[in-house]
Amino acid sequence: MLSLTFKNLWARKWRSLMTAIAVIFGIALVAGTYVLTDTTNGAFNDIFVGANENTDVAITSKQQVAQEDGSNPAFSASVLKKVRTVDGVRLASGDIFSQGAILDADGDSTGGGFAPQFIASSSPEELESVEYVKGRKARGADESALDEAAAERSGLDLGDTILLVGTGKARPFTLVGLTRLGGASFGGTSIAQVTLPVAQQLTGEQGRFDQITIAADDGVSPEELRDRIRDVVPADLLVETGAENADRQASEIRDNLSFLSIALLAFAAISLFVGSFVIFNVFSITVAQRTREFGMLRTLGAGRSQILRTVLVEGLLIGLFASFVGILVGIGLAQGLSALLSAVGAELPSKTLVIATRTIVVSLVIGVGVTLVASLLPALRATRVPPIAALSETLVAKSNSRVWLRGLISGLLAVIGLALIASVLISGTDGGTGAARIGGGAIAVVIAISIFSPQLVRPMASVIGAPLQRLGLTGKLARENSQRNPSRTAVTSAALMIGLALVTFVTIFASGLNSSVTDVIDSNLKGEIILQGPGGFNPIPPEAAELASSIPGVEAASGIRFSNVKVTGAGGRSLSSVQPESVNQVIELEWQEGSAEDLTRLSGQEAVVSAGLADAAGLSVGDSLEVLSKTGKTVELTTTGVLASGNLEFLGDIIVSQQEMERDFGVDVDFFALVRTNPGLEVGEVQQRIDDAFQKPFPTVDVLNQQELKDNQRQQINTLLAMIYVLLALAVVVSLVGIVVTLILSIYERTRELGMLRSIGMSRRQVRRMIRYEAVITAVLGAIAGLILGVIFAFLIGIPLEGDGFALSYPVPVLATIVVITAFAGVLAAIYPARKASKLDVLEAVSYE
Amino acid sequence: MESTLQETPQPGASGATIITASGLTKIYGEGEAEVRALDGVDVSFNKGVYTSIMGPSGSGKSTLMHILAGLDTPTTGSVEVEGTEITGLDDGDLTRLRRDKLGFVFQFFNLLPVLSAEENIVLPLSIAGRKPEQDWVDELISRVGLQDRRGHRPSELSGGQQQRVAVARALVTRPTVLFADEPTGNLDSKASHDVLELLRGSVDDYGQTVIMVTHEPDSAAIGDRLIALRDGKLVHDAPPVSADAVIELLKTLA
Ligand SMILES: Nc1ncnc2c1ncn2[C@@H]1O[C@H](COP(=O)(O)OP(=O)(O)OP(=O)(O)O)[C@@H](O)[C@H]1O
Ligand SMILES: [Mg+2]
Repeated sequence: MLSLTFKNLWARKWRSLMTAIAVIFGIALVAGTYVLTDTTNGAFNDIFVGANENTDVAITSKQQVAQEDGSNPAFSASVLKKVRTVDGVRLASGDIFSQGAILDADGDSTGGGFAPQFIASSSPEELESVEYVKGRKARGADESALDEAAAERSGLDLGDTILLVGTGKARPFTLVGLTRLGGASFGGTSIAQVTLPVAQQLTGEQGRFDQITIAADDGVSPEELRDRIRDVVPADLLVETGAENADRQASEIRDNLSFLSIALLAFAAISLFVGSFVIFNVFSITVAQRTREFGMLRTLGAGRSQILRTVLVEGLLIGLFASFVGILVGIGLAQGLSALLSAVGAELPSKTLVIATRTIVVSLVIGVGVTLVASLLPALRATRVPPIAALSETLVAKSNSRVWLRGLISGLLAVIGLALIASVLISGTDGGTGAARIGGGAIAVVIAISIFSPQLVRPMASVIGAPLQRLGLTGKLARENSQRNPSRTAVTSAALMIGLALVTFVTIFASGLNSSVTDVIDSNLKGEIILQGPGGFNPIPPEAAELASSIPGVEAASGIRFSNVKVTGAGGRSLSSVQPESVNQVIELEWQEGSAEDLTRLSGQEAVVSAGLADAAGLSVGDSLEVLSKTGKTVELTTTGVLASGNLEFLGDIIVSQQEMERDFGVDVDFFALVRTNPGLEVGEVQQRIDDAFQKPFPTVDVLNQQELKDNQRQQINTLLAMIYVLLALAVVVSLVGIVVTLILSIYERTRELGMLRSIGMSRRQVRRMIRYEAVITAVLGAIAGLILGVIFAFLIGIPLEGDGFALSYPVPVLATIVVITAFAGVLAAIYPARKASKLDVLEAVSYE
Repeated sequence: MESTLQETPQPGASGATIITASGLTKIYGEGEAEVRALDGVDVSFNKGVYTSIMGPSGSGKSTLMHILAGLDTPTTGSVEVEGTEITGLDDGDLTRLRRDKLGFVFQFFNLLPVLSAEENIVLPLSIAGRKPEQDWVDELISRVGLQDRRGHRPSELSGGQQQRVAVARALVTRPTVLFADEPTGNLDSKASHDVLELLRGSVDDYGQTVIMVTHEPDSAAIGDRLIALRDGKLVHDAPPVSADAVIELLKTLA
């Protein structure tokens, strides 16, 4: 019997291969994601282990509140003196390691796009983690070393000039050394090393360190020394052995990167979900076509379990094959993805690909599991074929009399799914559980629709097919054919529906995001010019705003800073600071309590809060709130005003004065600054003046007008959207493969009928056209269903966001284009089946048994 | 099963009774649309006898055969195969019954296209997980005249050859009874003759029991016993005399 299964599979190898494709894509993404993240994590691990090679104990500050840039606050240099007194400390050195910018003499970045750049102090030789491949370490105040890779990227060599930008103006340095860290690649990351005092000046950390590294006396173990040091340094500092420190940093990176793997795995799941529809359909059709064969096997004495086994073993084999191919493709994909990432400037450190056992096992289990689950229902149906089916002359298609049962099950599933989604929307659960519940709810709704959709296929297909019918007989036949096996058409379109629902959903969302951001810029920003750091997410020196305000034609320039904090009773929140004297000249806000005056009057320990926070913490003017800063300080703030909702909270939940920010929250750099020009002056001219003035001291600051800012934001959103589209395309392609297989199978089934049509004079062209129309009907069916579903989901999820000033917008032309493209994809999917159908030999087709 | 091989019963003579059907009715539909496909049939079959079933279209031949073979259940009445009541058996028992005691030859040859002729022949043994006795398989293959075709796929065989494969497949398990529903319905006269000869030979040489539904008087005449149905009732049961006599009989039934 097993060999029979093999032979059957082999006889239907094209069909089986197509079925396998339905799984291969998803598995490739799963395996690729694991290989990529394992490789990257491994490389980071190597970097941190290498960096701590000579370090026995390391001291860093604890991050009290997670910050966007993941940095730890610096701590007082006085700790070093205490550490040096500890018995067993042979050598201790205070270090700086902060984000900054490294430019060549022309002001061009030496970095690889988005990868971070660091300014670091060089350590005593014994504690140094880098090795000098050329030259020496920096000794003078205008000397710097740079990592070899960055130097190579920018064509720099010893003696050349580089510019370093920390929290102040750009300063020129002479390159005196090229470094390398162990054998590991940094990815796109670059590091410039200067002397400690210079590093402290550059990063604005005079009298502070980012880290203290310590070497132990002989005979003192790192653990022992760590415990001794712990007793003398302030409790808010983190004292770890070098190995612990490396482990923690590696695991922090792992956590930071995990969002990437979760996102990729989510897309893999979508693709596999769609794939399971395709598998289900192929198996259902195959089982239906083999009804007589199963009946015959039953008359020969095959038991139900034997029939079940033959079908399931086929599923198992296809699943195994697909998983293996998927893993291979995935490994290639990992290489491709990391190449892609480095092409867009987010290069990850690399070493040889890590293919963990876990990757193989998980991919196999998922691939085989999905195939088996999807083929279980058809297999069970096969067991219900009675032996007498072998004798019946026509294959009796069982009429589906259990419409009410379908209705009931799909109704129940839909209610459960919608309830799950609603529960998240109402309770506002976010994070993993929220996403899981929304995902689960969406899956339930999609399955509900697919169960019920055979009932919808007839009316929908006859509407969609109506225009085709006017094209003549082929159109009419295509329309009829798409309705003659409603559940088959339904499952095929449902697979496409899933991908298109998601495409629609993200399209609507992105468009909403775009128009909301544009709205905020239009209505909240009075400043015509914005100063921002590279990429829009790196800070800028506060002197930039100062310099800008001194330029003729500038009425006011006002910097804005951000920090993440924890509010007692209201959780993690974003806090911003403004310059009270000039803020009202550059922004305009709507108020629930108080007025713009309150911003001007902001003084120490006073705050304006958002409507959202006021609601959550029950605040109104005069109330106080307790805030934990990133440095671990607890600050008591008094509410002096409440903003109205609908400002998109672009200033976060709490607004304080710049002074307060510096004193209690330890942020001394602006995140961006807004510039208001004198009325009557050409904005472009002032922009040019600022740009010129910035050239020298602030080469990393971008000077944008409002339109450029909008374009910039839109471009960021669109880049993300494009990436999502590419990943969703995977699911859409799988469903198109589904259309191809289903068509081929239907043609096979209709061989005799096609032969008859040909024998009474239908031309090859007409046959091709008929098949093509059928594909188009199926595709458009899926597109329209997906469109409706996507709009409904976007609408539902948009409701709770409305309060935050986020408004959905429906880009009708884009959505219409999606339907047209899908119809066209249907035509493409039909190419091969149509050719196959038109090439049928008339004689053979008629005598086909 | 083995005993059918050892004894050599005489044609027409009655060995032990192996199938007994009594009071069989089969009613399809209700009220106005009610069809009595079988209407009180009592019949039994003896070992080593070749029985032909005839009757006008719609008279209930296929229905009777399906019920005798446990493929369908009667509305009332009972069927015993070798002393075992088979109406009301569950699927597992019926499966075992078919596997071990019954053989089938269909009008549509129903071979698996992916298997060779020989593989198709031993398929029932593979299903049962038994090893084929090569001598027996070889004998069957040479008997059906396919020695030089054993590796061919069904698509490479003529209709007559395919049906001979089907007969060999039905014989390979040495079933207690071999059922055939219009086995020559799709064949020309030469091919029909070959298939009938095969069935006849299996009865003569191996003591096989055969129950065959047919429309052709020539085919019916080859059997030891002729049963005729009309409107679901058994109206004739005697050894056939000649093809001409069968034609006469059919005229009276129509
Ligand atoms: N599944 C069914 N539902 C309703 N009526 C049926 C069914 N199967 C058979 N019948 C009816 O039962 C009667 C006997 O059918 P059966 O197939 O036994 O006839 P038959 O003698 O084999 O005819 P033929 O020589 O044409 O094959 C016929 O009137 C037929 O219409
Ligand atoms: Mg019949």
